[in-house]
Amino acid sequence: MVKKPQRRSDPRSKQCPFCEKQVAYIDYKDYPAIKPFIDYFGNIMKRYYTGVCLRHQKMLKNSTERARFMGMMVYRK
Amino acid sequence: MPELHEDITDEDTRIYEFCFLYPATLSQKEEADLLKEVEKTIEETGAKQISKDLWGKRGLAYRIKGHTEGNYVVYHYEMKPRAVIEIDTPLRITPNVLRHIIVKPPKGYEVTNFSEGFVQWLKDRENAVDEKKKEKEERLAARVAEKAKRQVKRVAAKKDEEVAEKPKADKKQISAELDKLISDDDLDI
Repeated sequence: MVKKPQRRSDPRSKQCPFCEKQVAYIDYKDYPAIKPFIDYFGNIMKRYYTGVCLRHQKMLKNSTERARFMGMMVYRK
Repeated sequence: MPELHEDITDEDTRIYEFCFLYPATLSQKEEADLLKEVEKTIEETGAKQISKDLWGKRGLAYRIKGHTEGNYVVYHYEMKPRAVIEIDTPLRITPNVLRHIIVKPPKGYEVTNFSEGFVQWLKDRENAVDEKKKEKEERLAARVAEKAKRQVKRVAAKKDEEVAEKPKADKKQISAELDKLISDDDLDI
């Protein structure tokens, strides 16, 4: 049987999940909102994989760093 | 740390958000004292309290001064931007405060209670895990039932085969009958 080549979805076709909800500010206290964009090791995931726009990625970075400082989120797992 | 602009006059007031983390091991009296002290330091500069939100005990993501659990309080104060700098140092040296942060919320920020949302999220997550477990068990049960059915079918099929097998006819009898047929002259083949 001939294997079909695995195809990744086009990263350009991804929509920013924050833009869809028209998020104006990502709160560092809102753990459930930030969690999906943090990987297992506690790093912020790349925009390429999550599809977040640059504006929201910067907000996400800010809120994640604040959450880490306050002990709500890990620096490194 | 809040950013300050040079052109701010002393009359301007803004809303600032304060978040404090203190250990969960404090007694009730110590906790009340701590909160009172913190509020006093902030209000000394003429700040007006808008909201106060006690989050309750929550696990920490990493150890802070040997503590693995802490309590959070979130305040919103309306105050002069210049006072923030004066407040920051006293807050840092307040005993029993593990961490504190001062944030300037953006325009049109609505004060929401995130602790309730967090608790609900934790519950939903647990439920999701439970549901997954249940689904897995159900799938396993269905598979076992199917296997049992197949086995029953197989046994039934075997029995049918045994029944279907006819007893072997006697060779001699057949040959005798054939001979009779062949020797029959009335047949016109």
